[in-house]
Amino acid sequence: MDPSGIFSTSYRADRRLVRTRWQAAALALFIIVMLAAPYLVSGRIIAVLNMMLISAVIAVGLQICTGYAGQINLGQAAFMGVGAYTAAILASKTGLTFVLTIPLAGFAAALFGFLFGLTAARIKGFYLALTTIAAQFIFHFAVLNLPSSWLGGSNGVTVPAAELFGLRLVTETQQFYMNLAVAALMVAGAFGIIRSRFGRAFVAVRDDDVAAGIMGINVAATKANAFLIGAFYAGVGGALWAYMIRFVGVDQFTLFHSIFFVAMIIVGGMGSIVGALVGVFIIRTIQEVIATVGPNIADSVSFLGGDIVFAGMNVILGGVIALFMILEPKGLMHRWNILKSSYRIWPFPY
Amino acid sequence: MRDQIRDSVGASVASPLAVRGATLKFGGVTALDNVSITVRDDELLAIIGPNGAGKTSFLNVTAGFYRPQEGRVELFGQNVTGLRVDQIARRGIARTFQGTHLFAGQTVIENIMVGRHTLMKSNVIQAFFHYGPVMREETEHREAVEEIIDFLEIEPIRNRAVGTLGYGLRKRVDLGRALAQEPSILLMDEPMAGMNAEEKEDLARFILDVREARKIPVVLVEHDMGVVMDLADRIVVLDFGRVIAEGTPEEIQKDPAVIKAYLG
Ligand SMILES: Nc1ncnc2c1ncn2[C@@H]1O[C@H](COP(=O)(O)OP(=O)(O)O)[C@@H](O)[C@H]1O
Ligand SMILES: [Mg+2]
Repeated sequence: MDPSGIFSTSYRADRRLVRTRWQAAALALFIIVMLAAPYLVSGRIIAVLNMMLISAVIAVGLQICTGYAGQINLGQAAFMGVGAYTAAILASKTGLTFVLTIPLAGFAAALFGFLFGLTAARIKGFYLALTTIAAQFIFHFAVLNLPSSWLGGSNGVTVPAAELFGLRLVTETQQFYMNLAVAALMVAGAFGIIRSRFGRAFVAVRDDDVAAGIMGINVAATKANAFLIGAFYAGVGGALWAYMIRFVGVDQFTLFHSIFFVAMIIVGGMGSIVGALVGVFIIRTIQEVIATVGPNIADSVSFLGGDIVFAGMNVILGGVIALFMILEPKGLMHRWNILKSSYRIWPFPY
Repeated sequence: MRDQIRDSVGASVASPLAVRGATLKFGGVTALDNVSITVRDDELLAIIGPNGAGKTSFLNVTAGFYRPQEGRVELFGQNVTGLRVDQIARRGIARTFQGTHLFAGQTVIENIMVGRHTLMKSNVIQAFFHYGPVMREETEHREAVEEIIDFLEIEPIRNRAVGTLGYGLRKRVDLGRALAQEPSILLMDEPMAGMNAEEKEDLARFILDVREARKIPVVLVEHDMGVVMDLADRIVVLDFGRVIAEGTPEEIQKDPAVIKAYLG
């Protein structure tokens, strides 16, 4: 609901995402801060922001597949891996520019995701979760067992730096602008998709697939498309990852990573693009804090041994996520929307 | 389309919907037993019968949810038996449900916009970039949806989540969503059930207005005979999966087989 005093005068205006002057100001400020970030914060923070931007692309894709279309997906890291390997191989073997390898990585992952999406037409819930976990294993099995001259086997693949008009994007700041540009485009595209007939079809299939069918929506194809789009996002994120780390290996794309992406959209709120971004920010921040304070704790309680401390840190992270699911199962965006609308209609309770 | 499907004489037009000799069994239960029903142009056909008579099963066979073991379904003379639900819907059938099957996570506008899905043509890449043509298409279809919203007198709730609406309003949104499909035939499964007298009256008025405005046949399934007597042009009575009577409301009211089915 809009605050009072805001009335749309055309359907086009009514569909706008940015609806009030405050929202416009907040968005403008956010963009300016992001663009200026390399001049405002340390390189260490820029490295963290890079990680967040890449995660944002992948989590937003998962949000479309799981949050909007309702298709459980525990294979997002594998789809990311397919994208990362595609970009790595294309860049190292053909020298293709990143302007092409990034979308191609997206398409390769989309194809892989689509195959799993086809099974979603027939199965739901727990069994679909198992099938998407199979995506993880198939990915690992393929990388480790194909001839190592193809995908590098267990040695991984080294990735050349992304290049634009002869400029090699090697510093964290240079990569930051590339990641920021791609993430901005992908997030804007996600808003475009969810506000279109496709987004409405996704929600329709999620909420009531019987009624969706009678609306003329091909339910099986819509589910497969949700996987295709979600995996495309993962593939693009994977390609960015490859250019940032400059190395890809199977251990970077495990079921463990997939679960973290799921945690991000749950914490931020299912069925909200902004929620996915909020979730990325929170989970990545907690991870970063743990990675920073972990070694200090390990030093001060050295009798426990570093392994135990780090395992303990992951338990804490898992605990935070579990706590979220119990206390705020609909995610932070849901809470925010409740606050906002109760403020706007105050003092009336409805 | 109707004009193309004339019979060999070239005189008559294929009927909008014809179910011929449909038999549907669930294990030992025969939900439909050799049922043939033909819907005529622009008529309001009521299908009535006691609970469990097979009314919903008839709609399910018609809309492609179930494939009958025997018999066929024809839309404007074309055999559509065995097609998927969405394929049949795209050939012009819209349906409202017994109870409600709205999309709970969407607003009223979004629910009705879903009805426009197959009338919209933009592809996913255009949606991603969301430039001119996509915006124009959205606006165009939004206008059609707003007309339906005006027609159903639900302007004040257009931005509400459907989950917060009362039953009567939900049924109206359900009807709006079906109308948004611009169907050639409208099927309604017990739309009045669970409504109070006032809501029933409102809905009856909307159904009559739909016929008037759209000039499409409406198939109204009802358990309660009283409701359809004033509305229907013609009534078919089902009992234990069989057609036991067919005729005008006056004829049906006097039919001994019907009286027996309802009383005994
Ligand atoms: N999916 C189903 N599985 C098994 N039996 C069903 C199913 N759907 C309907 N039936 C049976 O078919 C018969 C007709 O049901 P239905 O068409 O729902 O009747 P009505 O809508 O007239 O009340 C009933 O005996 C019902 O139990
Ligand atoms: Mg019924």
